[in-house]
Amino acid sequence: MFKRYELHNHTTQSDAGITCRALIDHMIADGVDCFAITDHNTISGHPIIKRILEEERLPIACAYGMEYTTYYGHIVCPVLEQYVPWDSINRKKPELLFEAAKRAGAVTGVAHPFSYGDPFARGCRFEMEITDFSNVDYIEIVNNPEPLHEVNEPGILWWESLVLSGVKVAACAGMDLHGLDSFAMKFATYCEGDPGGDPVEELKAAVAAQRTWVSKGMLVAAEKKGDCVRFTLVDAKKPGFVPADTYTLTLKTKDGTRAYDITAGEVDVPLPELGEAVVPKLYGGETVIENLCCVAPVIRAGD
Amino acid sequence: MKELYRVEGVVNRGFVGQITYTICLEETLSKLDIHFSFDADKRTFRPGDITDALIRDTIETCRRNYDLEIGEERARQIILGDMKTEIHTLATINDEFLGCIHKQLTDRHMTYDGDTASEGCVPRESFDGVLKVTVLVFNVIKDATHYCLTVSGE
Repeated sequence: MFKRYELHNHTTQSDAGITCRALIDHMIADGVDCFAITDHNTISGHPIIKRILEEERLPIACAYGMEYTTYYGHIVCPVLEQYVPWDSINRKKPELLFEAAKRAGAVTGVAHPFSYGDPFARGCRFEMEITDFSNVDYIEIVNNPEPLHEVNEPGILWWESLVLSGVKVAACAGMDLHGLDSFAMKFATYCEGDPGGDPVEELKAAVAAQRTWVSKGMLVAAEKKGDCVRFTLVDAKKPGFVPADTYTLTLKTKDGTRAYDITAGEVDVPLPELGEAVVPKLYGGETVIENLCCVAPVIRAGD
Repeated sequence: MKELYRVEGVVNRGFVGQITYTICLEETLSKLDIHFSFDADKRTFRPGDITDALIRDTIETCRRNYDLEIGEERARQIILGDMKTEIHTLATINDEFLGCIHKQLTDRHMTYDGDTASEGCVPRESFDGVLKVTVLVFNVIKDATHYCLTVSGE
């Protein structure tokens, strides 16, 4: 089964307008399986949410994290249970902070890498120079409130260029909630899990294996079938999702992009067409970014 | 509460970084108030502050950083609507995280009283040892921006 994650959320513990309680209720109302609390530079919301979830035995899991909000970019950690200082942040060596956070058990992601920073909002653009991605679990390729063309599209393209050049880094999405915004037709993160499984542990495993989906509500799954890979549409039943009349699957490799009609629900693609590594993406209708519906995990030769 | 430490300072336009104050607590405290404020009237630009140089600088920054071509009117909107002095506060005790207030405020208190604390802060029963208060300076838009930090406890 697929589980839905909302990995980037703020409360009144930092600069948002919603309390921890309101955040929980908002997530439950939309059927989220697991959400993260990622306030700016503080973990003070953790005990508040823990107490509410434990006392009321609510049907949702929480990942306790934080968003490092530095002068040179934001690092969103949906899992970070203890505060790890960032005062030695070095824009030319951000690996030190990623490494320190990972040592503390964090799941680490580059948040909204192409957001506008100075003079609009200093620190919002990721200006740090990463040369070693070994402690970077994911790129937040879609930050829902950000503009599609100016911010999110470059994020998707950056992630694609990384993974197609062999870097092992997952893709996730975030609402970057600061209020009670609607989730309808927004991108969420999906991971595979078991009905009784621990969603936080499943998230950790998924990002480590780069098995994450970024989707508005329709997923595309891949399975090897003889000399082909079978791609199948999976409706995640996300509230507010409006299905398209037609669906197109694109497979992007280092050499180019091929498109396949997958409106019927599945399509078989011969293995030689996949190359060494391929990024599957699903569009509802024409293959333009406005119609992007899902970015699926990279498929590598030998997977 | 008794005032334990008070410091005032001035930061220049363009400074980015942090300033940390280390306070050795001479007795165990059960309540703590860390109060920080900076010039409210220097937080944002006003129409009268806008100079040709500032407009040129904003246009050039947008072009250099974002490949964004903006005109003078848009530059004025950005200067008045987006640019602001942004300074936050973070505290630790004996290197343990006490809290951080990351809100768009010019005046803030980090208060601790038993099992309650202000938003952004982790409640704590007592305070003993070495308190560090870090002023996180993200953006200073006007030169000679004055700030004041006081630590009080009982």
